[in-house]
Amino acid sequence: MTTMTVRRAPITRVLRSELRMVLRRPRTLVGLGLLGLVPVVMGIGIAIAAASGETGEGAEGMAALVMGNGMLLPIFALSIAVAMLLPLTGAMLAADALAGESSHGTLRGMLMAPVSRGRLLAVKAFGVASVTLLAVVLMAVTGMIAGVALLGGDGMLTASGTSLPFADALGRVLITVVYVTLQVWALSALALAVSAYTEHPLIVVVVTLGVVIVSGVLSAIPALDWIDPVLITTSWEAVGEVISDPISWSPLVEGALRAACYMLIGGSIAYSRMLTRDG
Amino acid sequence: MDRKRTALTVAAAGTAAGVAGLVLIASPAGANEAPPVLPPVSAEALVQSVIDADTPALAGAVELRNNIGLPIPGLPAGSSDEELARVYTDGQGRGRIALKQGGGERTFVQDGTTTWLWNSADKSVTKYTSEGKDDAEEKLADPATAARDLVELIKKDSTVTVDGTARVADRAAYQLVLTPKPTERTLLREVRIAIDAQTRVPLRLEVLANGQSDPALRIGFTEFSTGAQDPALFTFTPPPGAKVIEGKKDDTNKEEHEELFRSADLKVVGEGWDVVATGRVPAALLSAQIPQSGERGGPLDATSILKKLGKEVSGSFGTGYVISTKVGTALVTTDGRVAVGAVPQQVLVDALGQK
Repeated sequence: MTTMTVRRAPITRVLRSELRMVLRRPRTLVGLGLLGLVPVVMGIGIAIAAASGETGEGAEGMAALVMGNGMLLPIFALSIAVAMLLPLTGAMLAADALAGESSHGTLRGMLMAPVSRGRLLAVKAFGVASVTLLAVVLMAVTGMIAGVALLGGDGMLTASGTSLPFADALGRVLITVVYVTLQVWALSALALAVSAYTEHPLIVVVVTLGVVIVSGVLSAIPALDWIDPVLITTSWEAVGEVISDPISWSPLVEGALRAACYMLIGGSIAYSRMLTRDG
Repeated sequence: MDRKRTALTVAAAGTAAGVAGLVLIASPAGANEAPPVLPPVSAEALVQSVIDADTPALAGAVELRNNIGLPIPGLPAGSSDEELARVYTDGQGRGRIALKQGGGERTFVQDGTTTWLWNSADKSVTKYTSEGKDDAEEKLADPATAARDLVELIKKDSTVTVDGTARVADRAAYQLVLTPKPTERTLLREVRIAIDAQTRVPLRLEVLANGQSDPALRIGFTEFSTGAQDPALFTFTPPPGAKVIEGKKDDTNKEEHEELFRSADLKVVGEGWDVVATGRVPAALLSAQIPQSGERGGPLDATSILKKLGKEVSGSFGTGYVISTKVGTALVTTDGRVAVGAVPQQVLVDALGQK
């Protein structure tokens, strides 16, 4: 083997071009736009209910608190979106990243190029990760704007009955953003692993949503309670902890660690497939 | 095929590490640790130190596992790790209990003069001044008090031993075991109470039934730390927009309850482990129509619910229905007499016969 000096493109330029490519896809833009609208629509719905004299009684959990409590809207919206909309977004992005490229035949060129497979996967994973982060941040921002404008309230009323000042409320929204992003990344890592194995993007989306739905079914069966702590969906319920005061960190830390484990599993399977792939 | 081998190694190592991590997160802390070594202590001295000890300033998380075979309304059923409450106290009578309820929260704050009850489901605050405070709820939610009362109550009918040590909520604890004396006719095998070696606060209460290896009922701390707590935890200001209700000691609701208690003709038969509570439910209640939630099916009456839960029996007491769980039995006769206890069915029948 002869030694070659490969002049690599600077990593920032590669990442920037990947990001630009992901963001140029119309479906990414439409998806992001719709996700950004979700909190606004929820805010309008809650504001109309409040104006027509409903007091929110009978509502469950966070829904009971969000009326007149604008800073809670982004957290409420994210806690609902993490159950289905954000996993769908992550799966779609991961499907496009490898299986989509493969179905267009463009992945072959990249695999032939003198670039390490690990680097290629890292760039693709970066594209997925940064756009899911963008989606979550977008939802939080539109949620906060819609919440404060439509529902009002300075600061945040927590589930424990305390009122947080605006800065603390902003902190809680940030914690939610970080936690939800981690959870979506975990699922996207699994989707990326599937994506490395197939050239049909649809399969990736179907398998990933299948994982979400089967996990939900398994956790609903009391006889299978022992399996709960390893399911990816178990951590998603812990989002509600951020509106307790004082915040109880242990479920959040546990959920974040669980997400890290899933990222490790998904990442290593995707990497091993990329190593052996011929194009 | 060097690359293939690398790929397999990476996949296997990464997946194994990830799965190991998941299992590690799932397994409760301290499950596989050797029990801590503590200086030996006699059962009497241990019980005494528990009764004498003052609750220090602490913060903790309480978990409840219910495996008795019947759901307890309002409490998580099944054996899942369900966090029940977070408890804070400053050791001087002020405290805070946050109960999780399906995404919402109920918070009890005792700030020294006033008890505040916050319910996030309807954004309401109920305020009790200290004379009117109902401490039954606090007692239920506080495993320390619950265990202590139990020890005092059953000392004379039980063998009390110290059975080694355990690690509960990452703290070294003595295991106090209460076993019913052989003359006691009960379904329970033993009650185990883990007592923190340092503070002598009961950390965990387990109820074990005959023929069961897992506890039928377990309430205890999963997190426990002593030390001064943030004083802000023990104050409560009703948030703007919340309904504030003045709780009164003798409100009509309570009078109604008392009236019900009088008509129930409650009696306690026996003592110790085979104590049986007997009473009488109004016959009207048995045939009362209970509206069913949901669209399916018509309203149910109480008798048909009894039929569903229990099995029909007859004897010297007439006919009735027996509902058995792993830790207790209840007998409801068709003429409205009720007997409940942690005992086999025959003891209930005897108790009804004694009246």
